[in-house]
Amino acid sequence: MSHAHTPGNGGADHPAAPMVEEITDFEVLEIAVRELAIEHGLFTAEDHRRFTEWAESIGPAAGSRLVAKAWTDPAFKARLLEDAVKACKEIGIDWAEPTGFGTPSDYMNLRVLEDTPTLHHVIVCTLCSCYPRPLLGMSPEWYRTTNYRRRLVRWPRQVLAEFGLILPPEVEVRVEDSNQKCRFMVLPVRPEGTENWTEEQLAEIVTRDCMIGVALPRPGRTADVHPMHKARRPVKGQAHSGEAAHESKK
Amino acid sequence: MPRSKPPEKSQPSAGKARFKVGDRVRVRDLPNLFYSRTQMYVRGIVGTIAACTYQDVIPEDEAFNRDGRLEQYYIVRFRQKDLWPEYPFDNDTLQTESPERWLEPVDG
Amino acid sequence: MSPRNKVARGRFALLEALKNRDKTWNALAPRYGVSNPNPPWKSSLIAMCDCLDAGGALPVLDRRHAEDELADSVYSDIPEPERQLLALAHTMLSRGLITESDLANRMRAVRARLEAV
Repeated sequence: MSHAHTPGNGGADHPAAPMVEEITDFEVLEIAVRELAIEHGLFTAEDHRRFTEWAESIGPAAGSRLVAKAWTDPAFKARLLEDAVKACKEIGIDWAEPTGFGTPSDYMNLRVLEDTPTLHHVIVCTLCSCYPRPLLGMSPEWYRTTNYRRRLVRWPRQVLAEFGLILPPEVEVRVEDSNQKCRFMVLPVRPEGTENWTEEQLAEIVTRDCMIGVALPRPGRTADVHPMHKARRPVKGQAHSGEAAHESKK
Repeated sequence: MPRSKPPEKSQPSAGKARFKVGDRVRVRDLPNLFYSRTQMYVRGIVGTIAACTYQDVIPEDEAFNRDGRLEQYYIVRFRQKDLWPEYPFDNDTLQTESPERWLEPVDG
Repeated sequence: MSPRNKVARGRFALLEALKNRDKTWNALAPRYGVSNPNPPWKSSLIAMCDCLDAGGALPVLDRRHAEDELADSVYSDIPEPERQLLALAHTMLSRGLITESDLANRMRAVRARLEAV
């Protein structure tokens, strides 16, 4: 795309965001598989549109708002721990979306796991990749790897340390394996230094990783940045991208 | 698993829950007849009921698209040391869910 | 786990030909200066997986087990989300939900449509 009309030093007008300007075989494959599935009656185009709209509407922001509200409103926290699916409606998240009875893999059972100064929760699904999607959006790629799923149940402190989270032995680490129909989300301890913060301020430090339990919220930390980086010159045939650091321990 | 129709838990109750919070239970080591969500690593291990969650169709039926039997589900808490003898931290725990048929009472 | 999940034994020539890391989003996005971490078709793929589960054609747990198996073998060199897409197509071919010749024909037709002027 030409940017000839754009001022060189970044003026007031915004150039169109760049796009990948080629049609890849992967894009073609996705459309082709979907069209054949629809023609074979496996689902309808309308079903697909509805689920796509839903998939694009979810993300970890809902979970962040939920935690911030629980931190500032003790009565809400009590309702949340009592019946999380019901409490979610108070922040506009309906677990019955988009079908009226939830999605195929997000059963309408949610439990919020409350951390304390001596208890730390972390979630996993050893069976596949069950995840509280209505609140946290799509699971990160590492959550789905066999590496995380196999090792978190057995060596949780080792895995947490790889995320940069080292907890003292007196803190009980409790792994929650969501292998059936409950979905889980961690309610972390509100960190010091956030007194008098608004819900909006608080929500900013409650990142996705804090609600999975592989990180702790703290003032100034507003993004999940993992210590491992993509190799600049990866060895040919080596494990790819951000998973490399995790996968290497397999 | 296919959720082309609403879940069954709005149906009448499967009966009274056999276990209550705090009860000690052992995960049974039943054969896998085609399908189970009960992981091998908890089989035969003693844990404690941490929560009585909901009633739903058992996975063994649901996987085959049968209307299925309703059963009480529980969250069971295990000491990591009971799951993995070499586990080095005394306090650490693990919780996982189980339908009632996979649990048996432990006396004392 | 049922034996029908052993999907990694077969290879599909059509999908083997697509295993080009240079055309994955990880490779393309920086080349075009795009910061979106996922390709535009990712949410459509997720929705397709949900639809296949909801309709009963491919239950989520079967799909995930097949994905795990294929991710460690046939498509281990391809990053996500392309790997998930290849694994889904592979699993649907393995199960006879679609055929390789139908898919090849449809891919040609789709490309022609997208490139039409």
